[in-house]
Amino acid sequence: MTPDRATVLKPAGRVLAILLIGAFFLFPLYWLVTMSFKPQDEWSPVGGKIFWTPGRWTLDNFTQALGISTPNTQFFSAAPVNAKSPIIHSLVTATGGTLVALVIGVLAAYGIARFRAGGKMLPFQILQLRMFPPIVVIIPLLIMFAWLGRHTGGTFGVDTYWALILVYGAVTFPFVVWLMRSFFQEVPREIAEAAIVDGCTQWGAFFKAILPQVRGGLAATALFVFILNWSDFLIALVLTDHKVVTAPVFLNSLQSAGAGQEYGPQAALGLVLIVPPAVFGLLIQRYLVRGLTFGAIKR
Amino acid sequence: MAVPAIETEPRPRRPLKWPAGFGGRSEKTIAQLLVTPGQLLMLLIVAFPAGVAVYLAFTGYQPTSGYEWFDAYKDWTWFSNYWEALRSWGAFWTGGGFWMAMFRTAVVTVLGVSVELALGFALALLFVKSFRGRSLLTVVFLLPMMVVPAVTGFIFYMLFQTQGPVNGALTVLFHDWLHLTGHIQVPWLSDPNIALFSVILADIWQWTPLMFLILLSGLVALPEDQMNAARILGARPWHQFRYLILPMLWPIILIAVIIRSIEIFKIFDSAWLLTSGGPGDATTTISVYLYRETIANATRWGYGSAVAILVLVIVSLIAIPAIRPIEAAQEETIEELVGGEGAEVVVDVERAVEAEARV
Repeated sequence: MTPDRATVLKPAGRVLAILLIGAFFLFPLYWLVTMSFKPQDEWSPVGGKIFWTPGRWTLDNFTQALGISTPNTQFFSAAPVNAKSPIIHSLVTATGGTLVALVIGVLAAYGIARFRAGGKMLPFQILQLRMFPPIVVIIPLLIMFAWLGRHTGGTFGVDTYWALILVYGAVTFPFVVWLMRSFFQEVPREIAEAAIVDGCTQWGAFFKAILPQVRGGLAATALFVFILNWSDFLIALVLTDHKVVTAPVFLNSLQSAGAGQEYGPQAALGLVLIVPPAVFGLLIQRYLVRGLTFGAIKR
Repeated sequence: MAVPAIETEPRPRRPLKWPAGFGGRSEKTIAQLLVTPGQLLMLLIVAFPAGVAVYLAFTGYQPTSGYEWFDAYKDWTWFSNYWEALRSWGAFWTGGGFWMAMFRTAVVTVLGVSVELALGFALALLFVKSFRGRSLLTVVFLLPMMVVPAVTGFIFYMLFQTQGPVNGALTVLFHDWLHLTGHIQVPWLSDPNIALFSVILADIWQWTPLMFLILLSGLVALPEDQMNAARILGARPWHQFRYLILPMLWPIILIAVIIRSIEIFKIFDSAWLLTSGGPGDATTTISVYLYRETIANATRWGYGSAVAILVLVIVSLIAIPAIRPIEAAQEETIEELVGGEGAEVVVDVERAVEAEARV
């Protein structure tokens, strides 16, 4: 092969390969986005003809899914009439769970990073937590919260904010520990020591000298954990019934409701659901891999 | 005679705000205080449920039994729950039971992770050299990871309809353009022999990007000197890959594979929205199996607990050795990971060139 042919063909081949793989990865998203703007008669193929692009663009799916306009079909015959309250429930539980995980996780991460608290075993145990399918502990949790609920007049039981927030906090707590631990390790020890020499207590040094140093990491961790909680389906599916239905659970109930395949509003809800994680994910791009690999891969 | 006052040193003043241990004298106390809330949380959400599960696994307890869970001893069944799960070899070929669910999960794990690794590696190699639009394209490949898994299930549910866009696109390609086949109507979700692969495909779509990003960051961190040396000495691309890139990247590949295997083993969300474990039992992976046995199709909490414990034991046996590399890597930067064995790699440059000379 002559050099000039190689220099032309190789980049061209590379671009072609990337475009092909890119199409595979973009098409499902393309289908979701366009579906959410299609009118009802274009959701499914008519006479074998598939609507690759919306013939007529409409916002009806969004207004129906979000409860701005009343649905024109029997759609959303499930318990909540539209996705407004499920989205609010998702926001509350995901935010609450993130706060719980952050407060507890940041302290533990600092203890492990700075003082090697818990020796070698504790980080190992925390890592182990991630290996087990959550379904394995969910029945006992259901039992626990059902029992708690009966003895607290329903305040802390199944189908409440508290149950979900606590479990979300516990499930994402390991992620906070790994991420924050790696951020704390990047802060020189001397900073805390200098603060203590200057008259701070250990706690003062932590809050006034160390935490400001990891502000960026803290924000990234918070967004990352929020994405995880926002994405949860299984835990909410088991631990809620009808009062605190989160958005993914609601999406599932539409799927299995047998009310026909109301693709349009479902796609609209799906699109609304993936916007926050997409935006946050892009904001914390640099730390995504670090988070998803338990802090093993630091870019 | 007057006793002279003894000069005593002024007593050190204790900080008033906190007790001594609290105020920051003893690092040990502080360390313990820092991790205590986390340990309590783990105790509440992990240790307690595990204890309850161990207890219930010996009983035939169901939520409809009519008594509280701690009275479950009234229906004590010893090991019959475990026995029922373990002897489910008999139901293996008919598709039901614990072992079949484990087997399916293993198939999903092995197939899914290998394709993700191959595809992610190929993509990463395409992205190493910088080109115009690289960072924008990287963002495109990031997007599937950010999709809520339940929504992934719904998206692929739409795509995989028999009259849906996947078959539509295949028809356009093979029927309209190449004239090879008739209209393509693959029953992606309704054929028991195909449905599991549809579930795997959805997972591949969602998680290949993570594989890609992990491997890309590894490739970018490779020490340039050795790569250049090999190139200048005339090693072919394949030999560069075989003798240089692969050995140096090995720790990263290992971590990527372990992490994806751990995660894919738990697969539930996308599978449930895509097929709900069906048709029949065809896509009932272990998480789906547990959910069906305890909540969706039946309420056998005693049996479910026994299966959960079996899963815990099996996963522990496989995974505890497997997480050592991850734990070790948490202490290292990515450059240390790929360049940690400098001396060996230099030898490999020589091997790459030698292999070249033999050709």
